[in-house]
Parts: sequence; C-alpha cells; structure tokens
Amino acid sequence: DSDGGSEELVLTPAQLIRSLEQAWLNEKFAPELLESKPEIIECVVEQLDHMEANLKRAKTGDLKVSVHRMEIERIRYVLSSYLRCRLVKIEKFFPHVLEKEKSQAEGEPSILSPEEFAFAKEYMANTETYLKNVALKHMPPNLQKVALLKSVPKPNLDSFVFLRVLERQENILVEPETDEQREYTIDLEEGSQHLIRYKTIAPLVASGAVQLI
Amino acid sequence: MEPAEAEFLAEKELVTIVPNFSLDRIHLGDLGPFNPGLPVEVPVWLAINLKQRQKCRLIPPEWMDVEKLAEIRDQERKEDTFTPMPSPYYMELTKLLLNYASDNIPKADEIRTLVKDTWDTRMAKLRLSADSFVRQQEAHAKLDNLTLMEINTIGTFLTQALDHMYKLRTNLQPGESAQSQDF
Repeated sequence: DSDGGSEELVLTPAQLIRSLEQAWLNEKFAPELLESKPEIIECVVEQLDHMEANLKRAKTGDLKVSVHRMEIERIRYVLSSYLRCRLVKIEKFFPHVLEKEKSQAEGEPSILSPEEFAFAKEYMANTETYLKNVALKHMPPNLQKVALLKSVPKPNLDSFVFLRVLERQENILVEPETDEQREYTIDLEEGSQHLIRYKTIAPLVASGAVQLI
Repeated sequence: MEPAEAEFLAEKELVTIVPNFSLDRIHLGDLGPFNPGLPVEVPVWLAINLKQRQKCRLIPPEWMDVEKLAEIRDQERKEDTFTPMPSPYYMELTKLLLNYASDNIPKADEIRTLVKDTWDTRMAKLRLSADSFVRQQEAHAKLDNLTLMEINTIGTFLTQALDHMYKLRTNLQPGESAQSQDF
C-alpha cells in the first residue's frame, strides 16, 4: 500500500522495519555512539504517519484496525527505544561525541542528526554553565576551568560484545588478552555467533557485516 | 537487553493458527488472508492477541512435542557442548504459548518441564564456559548454538566482568598511554 515519495533506498516496508531493528540492536550493544541513520528514521516515521492516516479512514471496530494499531505500537517502541538509547550515549559522552562529529571528514557519514547535534551542544553549554555557577566561580582564579574532554570518560571500545555474522569475513585479528598470549586470526562464518572485543569488529558493525546481539 | 525485549523479538516468529473469522490480506506484514477453519501463519504477537479474543486456535510448532523435547533434553545432558535448539526462541515461545494457549497444546505440563530441564542444563554449561573464559583470559569465543535469551541472561554480567578484568590488567602496566580516568 505505501510507496512513499522519493525513496532512494527501495526497501519494502518489512525490510525497512528489519533495518530499524538491526540499527536498534547495534546501538543498544555498541559501547560508542554509532553513525546516525537518517534515511531509516525518515522512512519509518513516514511509514508510521501513513499507517496512522489509513487507520483514521478505516471503520472502527474492524479487526484490521486493531491489528494495524498493534503493528504501529511495536514499530513505535523500537523507534523510541533506538532514539532514547542514542540520547543516553550522547549525554554520557557528550564532549567526545561533539569532537568526533567535528572531525568527520567531508563525505563521511555523520554521527549525529541535526537535532541530536543541537541537543549535544545545548547539553554541553548547560553543563558548563552549571559547573561554573555551582562550583567553578568559587574556585581560585587559576582553577576555574574544567577540560571536559579530559574529565568525561570516553566510551570503552575494548568492551566485549556478542555478535552474529551476516556476511562472511576472513582473517579478523584477535588481539591477546595477556602478554603470554599471541594474536591470531579467525574467520567469521555467516550465521555464526561470537563473543569478542568491540574494537576489532567496529568497522564490521558500521558496514552491516555483523549484527550485535 | 531486558528479557521482555528478547521476548519482543521472539514474538515476531511465525506460528500457525486456525482462525474462526475471515479477513482479507493485511499489508505491511503481509498477513492473511484469514478464512475460518483454514490454517494460516502469523507472528506470535498477533496469534496471542487473536487467541485472547477467542478468534482462533493455535497449532503448536512441530518441535513442541513431548517425544521430540525429551530427545533434545537427553541429547543436551549427554553432550558437553551446546546442542542446536529447534528454535532460536525456544524458551520465549514455550512460555508465551503455554501461558496463553495451553488448551491448544497437548501435554502442556510435561512440555513445560522438559523445556525447563533443557534450559537448566544449558545454563549450567553456560556458567561453566563463562567461568573458564574469564579464568583463561580468552579473547574470543564462538557460541553458535546459544539462543538469544541464554546470551542475554549471562551477557551483561559476563561483559562487565571482562571489562573490569581488562581495566585491572591494563592498570598494572605502568607507562601505558594516559587513558586512565581517575576522577
């Protein structure tokens, strides 16, 4: 039923929802803030609006209405959870997130959506004002600055994550945990599941080759 | 991930129902069409809802059968490694279907016990593996036959424990890059 207007990604509604769920799970389990996915968000919101509009037109009490309503609620839940997860990370790592966004080269994807960027900047400004008014302005003059980039903890990219392989990968380096161990490489077979450090496989998450679980 | 979220994902699995109403095809999920008496596959979330409204009868999945499950349980007890499960969501589906549609499932109580026994065996193995993983400071593990719910149950604890170990270890080495944040 819905074809939306100008979709650059030609995804069926089912594929779109699948992409949203993948983005949601990846964001949930990744220690750092992942790339923003504006195409997916826009299409999902459009899809939801379309479904809501359809519902308004349908006769009430129709079974179809309640089924569609349930579907809408399920999609909305995933979308909200995804966006909220991102906001939590933005608040937690705000100076680093802003720094990373600033240093993204031209043509590289954004980490933050325009709205998230505005939110992060405002959050930073508010934090600075708060710290100044509550504590810093009462400090001796040479101690009135706080280097947020240094004091706010960075995301721990060495965290372990669970993943499922979507596209076969060869020769992934596994770094040793202790000095006595040596590094070795593994192949990731499609459909297999693994526990490994995030840092090594971060690019695979970004490319969609693996799914965090 | 909350168990409820794992269940949310499990609810997308398809299950067969026999509706007692008719309705033409519903878009988005490509659901239906529904005709009274004719079996049709729908996602579990819809099946449960329809069942609660007494609009259908549920047909248990092929693996939800006493003999099959007994075999699986015995296999699991025999092997040291994890056996592949009939469904990546066997635990959630058993709970959901037995909760809402036990009248459509023959020998529901036995099934519940068999699944629980299998789960317990697997969780015991998982605790052992996790313990050995941490002790031997492994850097990688392959967990093909584990289901999401099992990974989820131990996941947060295990990854946090590994993170702590890592932090303790790297702080032992002096002169490491100034990553320590001791605020």
